[in-house]
Order: sequence, then structure tokens, then C-alpha cells
Amino acid sequence: MTVPALLRQRMRRDWLQLTLWILGTAALAASAVSGVEQSYGTLQDRQEVLVAVAANPVIMLFRGLPSGAEREAFTLFLILPFLAMMAAFMSSFLAVRHTRAEEELGRAELVSATPAARTAPTIATILHGVIANAILAALVMAVYAGSGFDVGGSVIAGVAAGGVGIVFLGVALVAAQLMRTSRGANSLSVWVLIITFLLGGIGNALGTPSDDLQRIESSWLTWLSPFGWAENARPFADDTWWPVVLCLGTGVVLTVLALMLQPLRDVGESFIAQRPGRLYAHASLSAPIGLVWRLSRGSLVGWCVGGLLTGLLSTSLASVVNDLGADIPALQNVLTALSDNGSLQEGMVVIFFLIVGVLAACAAVQTVARARQEEAHGTAELVLAQPVGRVRWLGGYLVIAFAGVLAVCAFGVLGAWLGSLRADDADLVRDALVAGFGQAVAASVFLALTAFVFVVAPRLTIALAWILVLGGLMIGLFGALFGLPDAVVDLSPFTSAPTVDAGELDMKGGWWLLAAAVVLAGAALALMRRRQLATNG
Amino acid sequence: MSTVIRTSGLTKHYGRVHALDGLDLTVDQGQIHGFLGPNGAGKSTTIRILLGLARATGGEATVFGRDPWNDSVALHRRIAYVPGDVSVWPNLSGGEAIDFLSRLRGTGKHDRAYRAERERLMAAFQFDPRKKGRAYSKGNRQKVALIAAFAVPADLYILDEPTSGLDPLMEVMFRREIARVRDAGASVLLSSHILSEAELLCDRVSIIRAGRIVESGTLAELRHLTRTEISFEGTDASAAAGIAGAHDVAVEEGRVKFTVDSDVVASTLPDLAARNAAGLRIAPPSLEELFLRHYGNELRGNELRGNELRGNELRGDELRGDELAADEAAQEAQRASAHEKTAASQ
Repeated sequence: MTVPALLRQRMRRDWLQLTLWILGTAALAASAVSGVEQSYGTLQDRQEVLVAVAANPVIMLFRGLPSGAEREAFTLFLILPFLAMMAAFMSSFLAVRHTRAEEELGRAELVSATPAARTAPTIATILHGVIANAILAALVMAVYAGSGFDVGGSVIAGVAAGGVGIVFLGVALVAAQLMRTSRGANSLSVWVLIITFLLGGIGNALGTPSDDLQRIESSWLTWLSPFGWAENARPFADDTWWPVVLCLGTGVVLTVLALMLQPLRDVGESFIAQRPGRLYAHASLSAPIGLVWRLSRGSLVGWCVGGLLTGLLSTSLASVVNDLGADIPALQNVLTALSDNGSLQEGMVVIFFLIVGVLAACAAVQTVARARQEEAHGTAELVLAQPVGRVRWLGGYLVIAFAGVLAVCAFGVLGAWLGSLRADDADLVRDALVAGFGQAVAASVFLALTAFVFVVAPRLTIALAWILVLGGLMIGLFGALFGLPDAVVDLSPFTSAPTVDAGELDMKGGWWLLAAAVVLAGAALALMRRRQLATNG
Repeated sequence: MSTVIRTSGLTKHYGRVHALDGLDLTVDQGQIHGFLGPNGAGKSTTIRILLGLARATGGEATVFGRDPWNDSVALHRRIAYVPGDVSVWPNLSGGEAIDFLSRLRGTGKHDRAYRAERERLMAAFQFDPRKKGRAYSKGNRQKVALIAAFAVPADLYILDEPTSGLDPLMEVMFRREIARVRDAGASVLLSSHILSEAELLCDRVSIIRAGRIVESGTLAELRHLTRTEISFEGTDASAAAGIAGAHDVAVEEGRVKFTVDSDVVASTLPDLAARNAAGLRIAPPSLEELFLRHYGNELRGNELRGNELRGNELRGDELRGDELAADEAAQEAQRASAHEKTAASQ
């Protein structure tokens, strides 16, 4: 009798969060329908895109499996992996939240002390996850059926997305049995998610195109991935049921495995023991800046990988754009607006390096905002009570953040070089180098802004810094499309940063940005001398 | 004897709330100085000013004769600090956190003396250094700060409620460490609201109330200010009539009770002998009573507000109520300052 009670408790706790996840997924599904109508309105548009995809398989890492240029199948080619990914994230976090996280916090002990069966919380979590995925599947189906798509295909599409969710519900439940902490269980399932997502994409990229290049048969690698199974259901093209059943079956096997593992261990214990920490601190942990590096290095590596991939796309896609020529007016409009009427390839590099700049700014903001987290959490007090000056303490964060900015941009340029190897186009690498330099300047402005806000209004640091980055991104990336005047668009450091124009360096607002960054960072350090510790966030 | 800490007329305002309101505190070299008061009385605020983590609104504060705000780095080389509520880094092990904090205070990476001291302290406090920060309980987080503080020699130890979260066994270890650093000539400022701890450890105590020191001195000096309670078996209050200096005569639970000034206890003994008093008990004033003398007004105030509880029950309950009120005042102060800063930044 305890399972219904536990299920109700889970639903009450999650309803808002799950509503947002599910509505978000449905909105994503709907956006693909309107996106295809607007950008790829004619059959010919879509056929050209698929030819380009076959010519440059890297795109398939970020899209689904081509199954023809019909409107319905093409829509799912664009969006299905992301619908499945939403369901997968939702399900993994859901599973860990109600199992390992509860155990870690000791709340599971309260439940275990009642007459509830040992497996009752896990069973309630499984039911909870299945219901959430069923609603997600039904809504995705309703979106497509409501858009006038074939109903049979809509059902397959919905169940394919929900089915991947079920697989990851199982993956996370097993991870929760294996790992000692919720962080460990979450990261194990997210790693499985990322690796299988990439396996699906790489498998498709290595697949065999049909003669008219409109359809691709996945290679065997794709079949190792639940995302690959969902894509191979090919909604609206083949409507194949059995790969979807494979998803559901795998989910069942994994959840049963989790249920079998549960009684074999004590509450709070795990199958994989937590890795013990270091007995002594590494030599690098001897100065305040060593601590900043230690706390930031993990996320900085992530931002650098992002920079590398974006750089890779900037030049490898540039060659595709060249192949496409000026056939797709919508794409051309975006690129010319952004590249100040330079060549399309150059425009491609500029627009992708704008994203590298955003990634670098994110790395900087996250690192500097960590100073605020340390202050609010109380660990800054421990450090500042030692012989460490306030200026030196903040300086450590600024140095590491700046190194992060340079590293992300450098990895972007490295990616651009790797992407251009096949085309053997040295000009593109030079363009990337210039654009990378410019974006490093833009990102430094955000670094200095965050530091300044931290010193004068500590409690606003985290919210304000991220809002500024988001604002800069929106104005910079979409301002021109929305028809905002240049004066407004150039308010965004990302667009007023030095860039490449017809093969030449154009400083644009670069000197102003540099001056702003130096003045703001200098002011932050100078004012830090006078600032008290502001705890209790 | 030289002075280590001296504050005079120290004030600290958070918005309209006066966290410190003219605080005068003196700690001499080699002293273990108890800094007593309930939560929210201003102990942590004082300590933050002495460490240069917060700036005084007015008045003067010196540590080793220097200004704690401007010379904080130089001063911190001589100071070991244990915060009241220790936070540690979630992804650093306890051993790493201790090494890091010790190295910031100038310990070399391969300092043998430090390593030996670290091992000794970890054994004494039964501390597992390989766990990650997020796995530590409150008591274990406290141990991280204590081990880091005691592993490197310092001239001044500033400890803000250092035993909160420690079990009684660990409190004994803590007292041994305090005795060790005192013998080495260091000074200690020990803030606490646990009076028995202060009674066991401190040479001198200062009692803080609403941001001011209301009493300061050795325990012996302070005891002079309160009366000793004497009681013996009996059911008739008139048995105590005629005893010189007896006050507040009462009968409770089969015992006749009265109080006398602490310096005249000996002169009551002949009177007691003449009455052949059985089951005689003489209780010198505890620190708790000293404390209640200063916080008693509030207790009596609460009593008048129609509270029917009596005696010790009341004291316990109302003291907690008082602490809560003080906590609320502190939170109010923080809210006020947060509000002010937000307004300023807009």
C-alpha cells in the first residue's frame, strides 16, 4: 500500500519541474514544424539540404537520420534526437532525484524505517518515470497529429522519444545502485547519454547514403545507441515499430536489474565504493590561485571542448556552404547580415566564432562568479582569515578566468584548423585566428564586468553576470535578423569585437572593449581593497 | 604584560541595527580569554573586525598593536582562526583542505614538523582525511578547521564557538590542545555560549550583551559580584532566622535555602554549626548565574508577561527564547544591510 503514497509524494514534489520539461519538449517538437515551413518550404530546399548532409556527414552529429525529403520525415530528421535527449535528461535526473539523492540525504532512511518494502521507493520511482514519459510521448504525438501529420507516424515519433526516456530511466536507476552519491549517479548517466548520443551520430555519419543522397542507412555503431534505435524507427517514412520496442525492452531489462540489485545492499551503501580523496594536497594547492584552478578546471575543460567542436564546425561547414552556393536565400541572409557582406565562408567562420566567444564568456563568468559562491558558502572566509590579501584573492579568480578565455578561443582556432584540413584552405584558418582573437577581447569584457559587479554589488553577481552574457548573445546573434539598428547591435561586445573583413583585420570597437575590460578589472581590484566580506547570500 | 587585543568604543552598524555598540575588550598576552554571550550578541561581528574581514563603523581596534583592517595579511601570519560554522569545499578531501590552509600560513610542502603535527592531531581528533568535503558532518567540518589551526604554531588563536558539533570526547581533546598552546605562550580568544566550557578553560571572561561588554574579569573577581547559595535539611524557614547576612530565605523540597555575599561565607559557619545543620550544601556561584545576572532583566520581563512557569524551567526556556530573539535581531541586521546594499547598487 505504500507505493501509491510514495508515487503521490513524487508527483506532488515534481509536478512543476516535469510540466516544464514536458511542455518544453512539446514546444521543441512544434518549433521544428514551423521552422521547416519557414526555412525549407519547398521540396527542393529540403532535397538540397539532404544532399549537403550526405556530402558533409559531420552535420549528422547534430541532427538525426535522413529518411527522405518529405515534410514530415524531414522535420523528424531535424528534431527527433533532441526530443529523445530531452526525455533522456528528464528521466535520468528524475530517477536519481528520487533514489540515490534521497538516500544520500538520509531521507530514504525515514521511509525504510516504515513498513514500506525495501523496493517500494524504487517501484514508485519507476511508475513515476513511466507516467512522465507516457505524457511526454502523448504530447509529442498530439503536436504532430495536430500539425496535420500522419497519425500513425505521430504515434511512432512520440513513443520513440518517450522510449529513449524509458531507457535512461533504467540507466539512471542502475547508476543510482552503483554510485554512492547523487552527483556520481547523475554524472554516470549523463556520460552514458552523451556517449550514446555521439555514437548514434557517428554511426549515421559513417552510414551508407542511397543513390539519390536522400536517405542514409546507419552503420552498426548507431545500433549501440538508444538514440539510433529511435531514429531508425523512421517516423513518417517507414514507421518501423521494432526499434521502438527495443527501447522499451531495454528500459524494462535495466529497471528489473536495478530492482534486483536493490536488496543486495544496505541502505546508503553502493556497489562502487566512493573513490577516497587524496591524503595530502597536491603541490599546486599552495596558493589561493591553486584553489581557483582546482575548483574550476573541470568546467573549463568542458568549455574548451565546446570551443573545439564549434571551431571544427566553423570551417568544415564553411566548405558545405560553398557547395550549396547561394541556393538557400534564408541561410544567405543570415550570413551576409553577420559577415558585413564578406564571403559566405568567411561569414560562417565569423558566426561560429561568435559562439566560441559566447562559450569563452561563459567560462569567464562561471569562474569569476565562483568567488561569489565561495563567499556566500563561507569558504572564502577560511582563506581570507589566512595571510591572503583580498586583492590577491580576487586576482586569482581573474587570472584563471582570463586563462580560460584564452584557452577556449585557442581551442576554437585549433578546431577550425582541424576542420579545414580536408579543404586545405589556409585563408579560413587565418580568418579563424583573427575572429578568435576578437572574441577573446569580447569575452574579457564580460570577465571584467562580472568582477566589477562582484565587488560593488556582491549579491547580484551571479544573476546579473549571466543576464549580461545572455543579452550580449541575443543582440549579437539575432539583432541583425530582427532588424535592430547597427548602433544597438554593436552594443553587444560579441559583435563589436575585432573581426575579419574580406581577409583583413577589422578592429571595429576592439580598442573600446579592451579599454573597458582593463578599466573594469582594475577598478574591481582597486575597490576590493576597501570591500568587506559579504556573507549570507 | 603586553596587550594582544584591545578595542575601545568599537561600533558596527548594519543599517539601523547596531551589532556592536561601544565594545571595549582587552586580551593580554598568554591569556585564555572567554568571550561569552548568546547568539546574536555581537561575538562573531567582533571577531570579524579583529580579523579584518569586516570594517568597524567607529571606535578603535588593535591586534598586536596594529590595525586589523589595514594590516590584515601581516597579522594573519600570527593568528589561527576557527570560524563558528565551518564550511569546507565539497570536492576537496579533508586532508587537502587542511594542507591548503596550513600552506597559506607558510608551511612548506615537505615540512616534517608539520606532517608529524598533522598526524598527531588527526589521531587525537579521530579524523578521516580521505573523505570528500560533502561527506563530512558538522563535527567533522569543525575538525578540519581545528586541525588546520593547531597544526601550525600561532601567537593568537581566535576560536568562534569551536566545540559546536564535537562530542564530549573530542571536547576533552580540544581542551588539551588549548592547554598546549597556552603553555607555549600563545593567547586565546574563545567565544562561547557554553558556560561550563569557559569555566574549565578561561583565565578571564568578558560577557557581551547587545554589542557591549557588561562584565569583564577573572572568574574569581566575577564571583565576588554574586552570592553563594547555602542550604540544609529542614522544613521551617525560621531555622535560618538570625544568621548574619542571610538573604532570600526560602524552603524548597525539604531544604532551607538562603544566599550570602560570597566574601562572608566563612562567617556564617558558626551560626550553621550552632543550629546543627544537617546535609549542608554550599554552592559557589556558577558562571551561569553571573550570566543570568546580566540577561536576567529580559527573563524577568518575560516573566511579567503572564508566564506561569517558574524557577529553573523558566530560565531554561526563556533563555532559549532570548537567544532566538537575538538571532532574529542579527538576521534583521543582515536583511537591512542587504537591502541597503541592493539600494545602493541600483
